[in-house]
Amino acid sequence: MLNINHISKSFGTFKALDSIDIHVRKGEIFGLMGPNGAGKTTLIRIINRIIEPDEGEVLLNGVAMKDEDVATLGYLPEERGLYKKMKVGDQAVYLAQLKGLSRQEAESRLHEWFSRFEIEPWWNRKVEELSKGMQQKVQFITTVLHKPQLIIFDEPFSGFDPVNAELLKEEMLRLNSEGATIILSSHNMNSIEELCSHVALLNQSHVVLSGKLEDIKQQYSGKSLSEIFVQTVKQK
Amino acid sequence: MRKILLVIQREYLTRVRKTSFWVLTILVPILVAGLYAVPIILATKPLEQSHVLVVDETDVFVQEFRSSESISYHDAGSLEYAKNQIKNGDSADVIVYIPARSNTIPNDAFMYYYSDAPSLNVQSDIENQLQRILRDRILLDVHGISPDDYDLITNTHIKLHTSDIETGRDGFLEVKVVVGILLALLVFMAVFIFGSQVMRGVMEEKGNRILEIIVCSVKPFQLMMGKVVGVGLVGLTQFLLWVLLSGVAMVGVSISNSDLLEQAAARQEMTSVATKGSEAVAQMEAQQQAAPISEAVQGLTAINFPLIVGMFLLYFLVGYLLYATLFAAAGSLVDSETDSQQFTLPITIPLLLSFLMLPALINEPSGSLAQWFSIIPFTSPVAMMFRIPFGVPLWQVLLSVGLLLATFPLCVWLAAKTYRWGILHYGKRTTYRDVWKVLRMNKQKSDSSQEKKKL
Repeated sequence: MLNINHISKSFGTFKALDSIDIHVRKGEIFGLMGPNGAGKTTLIRIINRIIEPDEGEVLLNGVAMKDEDVATLGYLPEERGLYKKMKVGDQAVYLAQLKGLSRQEAESRLHEWFSRFEIEPWWNRKVEELSKGMQQKVQFITTVLHKPQLIIFDEPFSGFDPVNAELLKEEMLRLNSEGATIILSSHNMNSIEELCSHVALLNQSHVVLSGKLEDIKQQYSGKSLSEIFVQTVKQK
Repeated sequence: MRKILLVIQREYLTRVRKTSFWVLTILVPILVAGLYAVPIILATKPLEQSHVLVVDETDVFVQEFRSSESISYHDAGSLEYAKNQIKNGDSADVIVYIPARSNTIPNDAFMYYYSDAPSLNVQSDIENQLQRILRDRILLDVHGISPDDYDLITNTHIKLHTSDIETGRDGFLEVKVVVGILLALLVFMAVFIFGSQVMRGVMEEKGNRILEIIVCSVKPFQLMMGKVVGVGLVGLTQFLLWVLLSGVAMVGVSISNSDLLEQAAARQEMTSVATKGSEAVAQMEAQQQAAPISEAVQGLTAINFPLIVGMFLLYFLVGYLLYATLFAAAGSLVDSETDSQQFTLPITIPLLLSFLMLPALINEPSGSLAQWFSIIPFTSPVAMMFRIPFGVPLWQVLLSVGLLLATFPLCVWLAAKTYRWGILHYGKRTTYRDVWKVLRMNKQKSDSSQEKKKL
């Protein structure tokens, strides 16, 4: 599905990514882990073609990615926001139209999602009147509304209370069962353990650990993912 | 293309739907109609005559008071009688009392009034009359000069009438200076106001952290140009509404005062005929009939409004496009409004400079300084708009517009490069060195430095 081959990226003298190889299979939920500054956000931005790599290539379904392909991806950035003065519904429709949906299609899908997340009454309210959690829900909806084949979540649970975090997990699993491939970047080891089948750990610009979650845990004789994370990072 | 249209649509609609947009849209035409109506209303206002009772115990002054259309003077005899008059009825407003002095010319007088204070006009007229009478008396008694001789010596005032040699029309230079200053101010404000709206829009998107979501769907360049065009259309809409509403208001004022305007136009016609026929005397007579206020009304008829509106649209558009892209770049470089000043200042300097040069331009609207300023891009929108009412050769207009249009791609290139880097750069304050580095880098390298800042 997504093959990241030998991706390198330098900023001046600093090497942010050094020959990264990551392979995500179709239909899986892939966990991307790493301490702050390991290069996760840089990698995600390269996949989304916001920045270009110095070396290497990104293949989507075996073909080198083009600008148009970004429309088939969904991306929920870690630093995310909305236009505060705009009405919730108008804004969601606008973002969906930018992804290529028609107004009608966007509206009908949005009403469906809004009623599922129980935020239908907020359609005509301004974003600034919404709580942080509700804004997060709206952002989640706009990320997945255009039915992307690959969805990238960067710290999706930050700002959610436990109840809504649970709702979010359910929705991710549902989207996954409907065929979407998901990359989940998070510091929350519990949710990665809970959701992902394959993981990769980035540290100091390199992939230091990758593979099937089960195999990795076996290798580390049943330690929790948090313990494995800390141990691996400290070794370096 | 579809995406850039969507961006334009959003930028346009969110602004046009604001209450502040409509408040401003309605306030300005009211102001314009007011400015247009004031000289007309002043000219048509019926005069109210004030009645002044004169009590002169010296008998020097009373016969010499000259009544006018607005003030009439009456001999009241005694102070008691005058006071009764003023208390009893409305036949008089004010008493002037000049008490008798022994062996000396009086140098003070008193004014009495009841309930309604007299206007400053009446006061100053009384003072002037008293002074004139006293002066004439001294001239005649001490120096032996008659008042008529004195007037002949002192009234040697000459007024210079200006006239265009081709059209034979009055130049109305004063009116043109005022209109030119207003136009320069208007184009300056429009470019500045809508340019900073673009900047604030970019800063809002950056501050909201919505940019990373948007740039996955839209190229930064499309987003920037969409915003610039969208806000520009808002400005254009507002301006057209202003012209339309002001036009309606001005026609309304004109129709309700049509007699006066016809008079003014007739006078204008007379003066132009007079100049062509070199009948300077006829011209002077015609001019002298016209009071200063109706001269302003005449001046308005001499202004080519369609030309001015057209030129304003042109210079607002090209000037705005030039500055708005730079404002967008400035907005992308900063995280807060307070930091923005270091980048907005160099952008606004040429605008401010051309505005500060206005006094020099007023001296010589077609001098070489004015020509240079109205041709060099960045200063030309303001300087050229000031010159338009005086008449500018076509080649200069074409050259200045051509240069503005030629500079535009350069600004877009500078702005797009800076913007692309700036919108994803948070945290550390940007310096001019950073901007210079970005502009010198090729595309890939600019990505690198952007990411370095992030990390």
